[in-house]
Amino acid sequence: MAFQNTKCECGHQNALGTVLCEHCGKPLTEENSSTEILEMRYDGVARKSQKANPGIIDRVWNFFSSVKIAVILIVITLIGASLGTIYPQESQFINLDASIYYKETYGTLGHIYYLLGLSHTYESWWFILLLVMIGASLVICSLDRVLPLYRALHKQKVRKHDQFLKRQRVVVDADLPEGIAGQEALEQIGSALKKKRYRLIAEDGALMAEKNRFSRWGPYINHIGLIIFLLAVLARSIPGWHMEYYAAFPQGTPQPIPDTSYYLQNDKFTVEYYSDEEMPEQFVEEGRIMPKLFETKATLFRCTADCDDPVKEPTLVEVAKHDIRVNDPLEYDGLMVYQYDFDLTPKLVAVKPVLKDASSGEVLGSFEVQMSNTASTYEIGPYTLELKEKYLDFTLDENGEPRTQSPEPNAPAFVFLVRGPGLEAHGEPYMYFPLQKDKLRFKENVLNKDIMQHIIIDVESMNDVTISDSKSYLNVRKDTALPWIWVGAAISMIGLVMGFYWQHRRMWLKLDGNHLVLGAHTNKNWYGLRHEVARVLQEISMEVDSKAIDRGGNKA
Amino acid sequence: MGKRNKVVQIAILAVILIIGGFAIVPSLLQSNEVPVVGSSVPNIKLQELNGDIQSLSDYKGSIMVLNFWGTWCEPCKREMPAMQSAWEKWKDKGVYIVGINYGEDALVVSNFIEKMGVEFPMWLDSKKTAAKAFGIRPLPTTFFVQPDGKVHAIKQGEVTAEELDAYLMQMIDAASS
Repeated sequence: MAFQNTKCECGHQNALGTVLCEHCGKPLTEENSSTEILEMRYDGVARKSQKANPGIIDRVWNFFSSVKIAVILIVITLIGASLGTIYPQESQFINLDASIYYKETYGTLGHIYYLLGLSHTYESWWFILLLVMIGASLVICSLDRVLPLYRALHKQKVRKHDQFLKRQRVVVDADLPEGIAGQEALEQIGSALKKKRYRLIAEDGALMAEKNRFSRWGPYINHIGLIIFLLAVLARSIPGWHMEYYAAFPQGTPQPIPDTSYYLQNDKFTVEYYSDEEMPEQFVEEGRIMPKLFETKATLFRCTADCDDPVKEPTLVEVAKHDIRVNDPLEYDGLMVYQYDFDLTPKLVAVKPVLKDASSGEVLGSFEVQMSNTASTYEIGPYTLELKEKYLDFTLDENGEPRTQSPEPNAPAFVFLVRGPGLEAHGEPYMYFPLQKDKLRFKENVLNKDIMQHIIIDVESMNDVTISDSKSYLNVRKDTALPWIWVGAAISMIGLVMGFYWQHRRMWLKLDGNHLVLGAHTNKNWYGLRHEVARVLQEISMEVDSKAIDRGGNKA
Repeated sequence: MGKRNKVVQIAILAVILIIGGFAIVPSLLQSNEVPVVGSSVPNIKLQELNGDIQSLSDYKGSIMVLNFWGTWCEPCKREMPAMQSAWEKWKDKGVYIVGINYGEDALVVSNFIEKMGVEFPMWLDSKKTAAKAFGIRPLPTTFFVQPDGKVHAIKQGEVTAEELDAYLMQMIDAASS
């Protein structure tokens, strides 16, 4: 190619890699005698990347400008993306030790999968690198072709070389019918073409007609859309642009949403089940329980102060309230909170017992004991209670020492040092079990035999017990790039429609005395084009067989 | 025409390189992952049992042992004496041992350490933020942190006195060489 003579016989100096002379359309690379259908891609102009002595920049450019490379990149990406679907991705788990999980669940193969990093395929450097390379390929492939093509279509010559006309796929090479003059014939054909919405350029004894050129830009507009789409996908790695967070929200406690200043509280969670009448008989027989509706009444807060303070409670301001149901998320400031799962195991939050005089039974007052962050002193009537020990899940170890066996308030026990009338001056201990089952199990009345002759601590009714009876599992999502993904997809769709539903049709006519040479080209739908040619020639009573003028072949 | 083309080419390639770099670098760094051996520890700020606010970054320059524990956890209880004797042995040699309690009340923690005879500092992770930042799963989990703030070793489960000594010796040797 390096020694190719790029100067056409018409005198035009073409760029290296040109297939058809930019000026007159004469084929430059083949023998003059050939009658094969011309290669009309990009109108025969040289692509930008076709250069004589490529430097490093050119080589990089040329690499990305290759459609072959683009296809290879896409295939590799597709394979990579499908590998990521073999096992669940790490990001889909709430709390997961990936180094153990894949081995335990899927065996050695799973472990290899994890070690290869396929458990986070879509966040891996090589996958993102592939996306970036596809993006580069899209940009460069497009620019490499669209600019020369634009130039070629922008300044087309009306009068083309005979070889250019005769080697089109649709060719009419015949004498005009008797009784019609050359110029008149061109005018009549012209007005027929105009009716078919062709744009005409006439020159002495030559005519060029063209329509729907814009459809040639369809693929490039499609590419612009894809590039925006890709950029939006890549933009998700900008901090704060993308979040997919799954967490449990116990009722009544605001929980921070990581990397934001927001806290979300599950105010109340309710679940409704299908009744037996509503379910298929088979399900009833199997004893299945099917949830019909689950709903979390949620409040979203913004933290305004003490957000990262290790001790102080954060200052929260309510910003939104919503009843979250499946497919009906809470939406605020780009955050979307979806219902995901639930857990109805009840959990003790606080008790509010009363202090009674043992002999008279008179209630001296009540006090609230929180299970977490328990206050250390309580004043009830004439008595002072000082919290000395606390066990959330009380048990006795092998030495008979009290200890807690879990951090959950399954069997809470509190040791208060009580001071007041009738008790010893330095105080007497009272071991209090809020739950009835524990009172019996650990013999509360025996442990507190002496002090219970003076006072009794007890809850009056279940109203004095605060129970968090639900944990709602919610999925917090944020996707700032999402609108851009839609924009990209929409532009890409516009480009596809432009390219698919319209065809760029051109006809070149040249008169030599009474002899007409017509070449016609389209980028698709040759059937339509050859019929159009036959139709307009009928205007001058020139009958051509639309099948005969199509020389077939597969070159667009 | 050639020169202008070259500038445009270089500009386009540069833009692709910059955007690509921004996209790929975070995935290489994995910045919001929990610390692993060799990575830097996140800065945590907690209240000590005595009421002081402590920040991990203030201890840069000392060898640290961060022991995450809870009173209900039997292996945590079993390893406490080993931690305590290591504290007595190494505290004057630039080693700082800290117990980080998983969300329990100060009263519960102080009762416990009194009973166990533990004297090394206790930080209270009352909001469980430190446990989250360190990606703590089973208790106890012990992080051995070098003076430069990098994780030297992570031990999940009970630490024996021998392991404790071995890790500390390694870090002291590395720091003095």
